[in-house]
Amino acid sequence: MTDQIIAELESAANIIMAPPNVVTNEQRHTAESIFLDFRKTKSPYNICREILEKSGNPYVMFEAAEVMKNAIIREWGFLLDSDKVSLRQYLFEYVITHETPPYVRERILQVIAIMVKRSSIDDNGRERGNLLREVENLIVNSEPQKKILGCNIIIHLMQEYATTVKSTDVGLSWEVHFKAKKQFQATDLKRIFQFTIYLLTEVGKSDMPFADNMVELVGHLLKILEMVLTWGYVSPLLPKKLIGIYEAVYEADVAPALKLPESWAEYVFNPDLLPLMFQIYWKVRDNDQLSHPALACLVQLASLSGRVMLEDEPRMRYLHSYLKAFFNLVSNVTIKSRESVGIANIVKKLIIFFSQDILKLTKHIKDTLLDEFTRLTCHFCEGAALEEAQEEDRNFSDAFDGMLEAWTSILQEFGPATVDNNLSDCAKRVFEKYVQCRLAPPDGCRRPQPDVEKGEETDDSDKELYKDQLQAIGLFGRAIAGSSVPLLFNLLESRTSTLFNSFQEIRNRTLSIGEASGLDTLYEDIHWILLIAGQVLCFDREGNETMMIPSEIIRYSIDCCSRGQCTVEASLQALQLAENNSIMPADFEKCDHIIRLFFDVMKLCYVEDYVISSGMKQFLSPELGSTIMWFLNRFCVNYLTPIESYYTEMSPTILGCLGVDTEGAQLVIRYVLKKIQSNVYYFQSETQLLQETIDCFCHIVSNKHKSIHIVNTTSLRQLVVLCESLEPGTMPQNGFRGMYRGFSLCGACLSAEPERMRSYFVGIMGSLQTRFEAVCTIQGGLASKAEDQRTLVVIVDLLEAFIGLAKGALMPTATLLFEFLAPILNEMHAFMSAFNNYHVIVQLILELFGQVAKYMLCYLSPMDSKRLYESALATVQTYAKCNMNRFTTESFAEDTSFQDLVLVLELLTFIISKDCFDLCVTSNDEEITVTASDVSLFGLSFILPLMSMDLLKYPSLCMQYYRLLVLVNDIYPEKICGLPQDLLQNLLKSIEFGLTEFGSDIVQICLDFLLGMASYVYRHKLVNTPLYAGLRPFLKILIDLTLTHQINSDLMSTASASIYALICCYQEDYRALVESLLQMQSDPMTRERLAAAFNNLVLNVEMNCERVPKLRFRDNFDKFIANVHGFLLIK
Amino acid sequence: MGDIDDSHFETGDSGASATYPMQCSALRKNGFVMLKGRPCKIVEMSTSKTGKHGHAKVHLVGIDIFSGKKYEDICPSTHNMDVPHVKREDYQLTDISDDGYLSLMSDNGDLREDLKVPEGELGTQLRADYDAGKDILCTVLKSCGEEVVIAVKTNTALDK
Repeated sequence: MTDQIIAELESAANIIMAPPNVVTNEQRHTAESIFLDFRKTKSPYNICREILEKSGNPYVMFEAAEVMKNAIIREWGFLLDSDKVSLRQYLFEYVITHETPPYVRERILQVIAIMVKRSSIDDNGRERGNLLREVENLIVNSEPQKKILGCNIIIHLMQEYATTVKSTDVGLSWEVHFKAKKQFQATDLKRIFQFTIYLLTEVGKSDMPFADNMVELVGHLLKILEMVLTWGYVSPLLPKKLIGIYEAVYEADVAPALKLPESWAEYVFNPDLLPLMFQIYWKVRDNDQLSHPALACLVQLASLSGRVMLEDEPRMRYLHSYLKAFFNLVSNVTIKSRESVGIANIVKKLIIFFSQDILKLTKHIKDTLLDEFTRLTCHFCEGAALEEAQEEDRNFSDAFDGMLEAWTSILQEFGPATVDNNLSDCAKRVFEKYVQCRLAPPDGCRRPQPDVEKGEETDDSDKELYKDQLQAIGLFGRAIAGSSVPLLFNLLESRTSTLFNSFQEIRNRTLSIGEASGLDTLYEDIHWILLIAGQVLCFDREGNETMMIPSEIIRYSIDCCSRGQCTVEASLQALQLAENNSIMPADFEKCDHIIRLFFDVMKLCYVEDYVISSGMKQFLSPELGSTIMWFLNRFCVNYLTPIESYYTEMSPTILGCLGVDTEGAQLVIRYVLKKIQSNVYYFQSETQLLQETIDCFCHIVSNKHKSIHIVNTTSLRQLVVLCESLEPGTMPQNGFRGMYRGFSLCGACLSAEPERMRSYFVGIMGSLQTRFEAVCTIQGGLASKAEDQRTLVVIVDLLEAFIGLAKGALMPTATLLFEFLAPILNEMHAFMSAFNNYHVIVQLILELFGQVAKYMLCYLSPMDSKRLYESALATVQTYAKCNMNRFTTESFAEDTSFQDLVLVLELLTFIISKDCFDLCVTSNDEEITVTASDVSLFGLSFILPLMSMDLLKYPSLCMQYYRLLVLVNDIYPEKICGLPQDLLQNLLKSIEFGLTEFGSDIVQICLDFLLGMASYVYRHKLVNTPLYAGLRPFLKILIDLTLTHQINSDLMSTASASIYALICCYQEDYRALVESLLQMQSDPMTRERLAAAFNNLVLNVEMNCERVPKLRFRDNFDKFIANVHGFLLIK
Repeated sequence: MGDIDDSHFETGDSGASATYPMQCSALRKNGFVMLKGRPCKIVEMSTSKTGKHGHAKVHLVGIDIFSGKKYEDICPSTHNMDVPHVKREDYQLTDISDDGYLSLMSDNGDLREDLKVPEGELGTQLRADYDAGKDILCTVLKSCGEEVVIAVKTNTALDK
């Protein structure tokens, strides 16, 4: 009988494995169905044993192991203990005595591991202890192949226990997994650790090179050790989600720290442990396969922490021992690219976990430590420079970044560097090495970069790419400002004058190729010097925080001043001379060093001006131009008109040159605005440079302490005039938008003087209004001009400017700006109608409304809000009218409607936010009853017919749409309830669609939506409403989705809440549903178990839609799913 | 289509050139440009540069507004590109002649009968809607001397 089954399975396996041309599809299907039936076999243990004994077909053997695995999971509760033990012993014997293909063996090992884990839940790990003893015997006493088999058993066992949250072994709830893991890690994990260390000690005694089977064994041992050291040690204090994150770590680079309880003390404080591990690493570091896990173990040991480390004495001893071995290693070998990241990780972990202890070390050890770290950092820095030039692996670069991260803590915690000579010496070495690696020879060692076409759209500019690196280098520079700042200005001055001389030489003749590449080298040097200088002088801006001058820089400037080295007069004079491009000032050496760096940048700008005026603009570097603007931006935001009261001490030179109401501050403002003007005029075609220029402008004027000194200057006026006088259609996208945003931001500083603010905005808006009116009063109506390109570009420019103004609106200016914009917005539906065939304009109009709603609506009075709603709805309605029932052959039509609809949905979302976030200060006397959500839903009703399911497949449109739904749902469920029937149908249809068609974020939103709606229906007893009927099918839909694994396990708890709320609403339906599910089960035992599971699901859960029963239901549901997925085979 | 004599239907743009120049960097996505001598709608626009310190170049991908073919071009951002005058006008459909010409009425009541029923799906849709007695608006796209019905829209009571 069994022989017959085996023969049948073997022939089916041969058919499945046969090449496609030998067997027919039909044969293949039949063969597959034989295996599908085989998988459903109940109590298949005997037949599987027979197969393993008798069949030589690996495919059949693999299937047998797989079938056994599933059966054990499914039937564990019904198996006799004696059967379990004999089966486990049989399998163990089997793998030891039989040669099988690796994948069959692995699967059998997994079955053993699952069985051991399952029984350990009942017997407290007794069985596991027996197994481990057998395995240890095997490893110690057998031939090499058996040793490796033993290691594999341990590895499988550990894997089975390692994860609780995403465990493959279904049928146990998370709590049970968790308990099993805790028990394992408290007992046998230590035993495994100790045993492995014992074996590695033997390895340490043997000589290199290892024989092949020795390499394999050591590899396995190291893997086990790595698993023990990167084990996600569970703490009952952590929430399930966090434990899941810990357990999802597979790479030791990002593994959580080795956090151990006291009970580990005797193992990890063994004095031989660290020397042994370093010795092993030293032995295997040339072997690719072994060095990685060995180094990972060292990294983990550097992060030892937790309760085991509470006592000072053993902790210090451990640290000592670690450092001694570490220094011994790194001072005797040259660190290779491959191992650099691991070494840097060790340093990083030591600093994170032992920085306070390191401070307590003797000066000698501390100095050695700093010295070794410095040497490593410089070594990695050089390696990184080489990697960049060759575009190879980024090992050294990553290692260098890791070292910098460690240094960041060192400089902060060991400092200040000024009092520790050794520390400042180290900082200087690293800083200078970095500068050197960034500069071209002869001063530096930068190699020519591979010349590749660079896209600009991605954020791959150096300041973004090397942001973290540069920030850290800035920290070094500030720690040793006394040497870094002079180094930087000397380099900058020498490069600038070389650049100027080159241009004077090549004026009026053509450039040779050598000269052109020489210019590029200079540009690259200056670019890096500026990037470094910008980071030394200023912190990076995070969000809208107030920018401060770093205290080290202030201190440095004060010191220079008090030593008489620098004076205010000389510094101010330098600025004045630079503005007029005059010769070097006489007293230049007495110029404050910070001001001097700024002076140098002014000089650099002068070279740019010179080159432009000599007609050689094409030779300038837009990249360097951007970097200059980036530097000016930072410098001005931090140093211009500093607020003295923010600082505990302030440099008299900085204050005297750049303080409020100083001549110097006015000069700098004038200068920077002139530079902005020049860039806007000459470099419109360089989008990146233009953007950097606009950013500089907007950042400076968005600070009202600065903009108050800018708002009424002639320079600003000139900038406005420039924007007004540019030929229409020459400014690239976002150009006017950015500039007008700046003008708008600048006006906010006049909040205390309404009249001056009004006249300022009249000055900005006047010309725009005139041009707008001119367009509106075109003879023959707007439509007649639709083909007139000049009109089109004028309209585009105007819309860009209006969008910019809206984006720059702030609380003090919003109402005034709206007064200007309202009549314009009011005309937009006519524009929409006249230009509906010109997508650029259609989209700009939609965007304008969106931005007004986003930046202004929250400040507007109810009356003004209503005006905005009216114009917006009229425009959206016109849009819908123009596009309804439209059929076109244009291949880009779908793409365009997608873009349009995203804009409309954004607009509606911004409008609805008014209901959650309203900052309007005026009283609510006005009789306005329209709420923003009414407007949004009304708007949605216009465009819903345009949103096809195909369009929803665009991810951003999809997200925007569902976000809007959930927002309405959160604030006003009753609005959804009151929707017209067809609109409601469409909405619910899209929710149903959202549950299955898109990503899990959309599923989450849909579940939230259902929860909200069902709870609302239940609480308000809305039986016999369209909503009640509409929601009804979702109970079955959700239960089917969860039973068939179609809802991601992360979303299970959200799903359970929605299901609970739906059950509350439709209790009759639920009972019927359960009944029909039970009827579908043909197997009486399965039916019984399912019935019991359903019973437990609602046991003691009141169906009243309250919080407590909902939580109880959630817990029940978790168990229910774990249980049911274990035995219910629904396909 | 294509053999239609434009001269009968000249409007205000007589004598004007079919294109006008615009700096490459000022072009926009969804706007128009001439690529390889064909009027195109820009569907993708990105910038790049030659070497780190080089000047910007604009990479344009456009779709021929008549044929739907895709064209690409790359051009220094300071250069001028030709931008076609593109006119899109809506007409009321009043009749379809036996030989397949459309009778179209513009907003101001002028009639024209020089455009054929478009080919393919759009033409089928148009005829079906017309036969069903629907009120039909045709969007006529005109550029560089070519003219064709590019979209139809059935009016509902809501519309004008």
